[in-house]
Amino acid sequence: MCQPLASYWLGHTHHVKLAGLRCETLSVPREITSLQLWEEIVKVHPRLALIRDQVVFAVRQEYVLLGDQLLVLQPGDEVAIIPPISGG
Amino acid sequence: MLVSSGTTTESVWFQFFYCDMEESEDVPKDFIKLKSEKLSVDEVSELVVSPYCGAVSLFIGTTRNNFEGKKVIHLEYEAYTSMAETEIKKICRDVRQKWPSVKHIAVHHRLGVVPITEASVIIAVSSPHRAESLEAVMYCINTLKASVPIWKKEIYEDEYSWKENKECFWANSEK
Repeated sequence: MCQPLASYWLGHTHHVKLAGLRCETLSVPREITSLQLWEEIVKVHPRLALIRDQVVFAVRQEYVLLGDQLLVLQPGDEVAIIPPISGG
Repeated sequence: MLVSSGTTTESVWFQFFYCDMEESEDVPKDFIKLKSEKLSVDEVSELVVSPYCGAVSLFIGTTRNNFEGKKVIHLEYEAYTSMAETEIKKICRDVRQKWPSVKHIAVHHRLGVVPITEASVIIAVSSPHRAESLEAVMYCINTLKASVPIWKKEIYEDEYSWKENKECFWANSEK
């Protein structure tokens, strides 16, 4: 069963240029691994594949590495693509 | 401690709790702020000062004017704001577990344009004795650099560059 995420959000404006967007809604299966989710997003925005080794997800504002971790998503969940950070 | 003398458990507990709240006006607090205005060392240190504390330790992160021979004009910071605040709260929670005597913690981070030599982050921690606040401040800045979703862009004369902290817990340090 597919249900829409609220949004996925790109870490900073550099990646907005890669994908041509900041934030959009995607429909995915309710249960999906983080790697499968990445692959769904790359289907829509193939240029994001360029940054695959540099990013993590934040699902409901918790970090999730791209891999086998099974996500159970609710309608309206926010998923962010987080590039390497440089705060402080 | 509960005293049973005909009163109910609930009402004794309520009285104990009420008295505790009145006497303890210096409950440990976390002060977290992400803002675009200039940061103030005075403001941040005053937030954590406490009559129970003999030490306030501070870290100020300022912006350098050069990187690999290139002149840096200014910095720009962006954040995934809601998650950044949540991650900083987690850092504060961890600090209190590791150093239980820490009283107040303040973390102010600037967003948007930060001119050279101005502060991009100020962290202040108070504790009764100095060892804990010194160690806690170091832990705060190191962990912030590893886990808080904030990004820095260095603006040079002809170009710009998004930076990557070596502390970032998921990024490869060797590229």
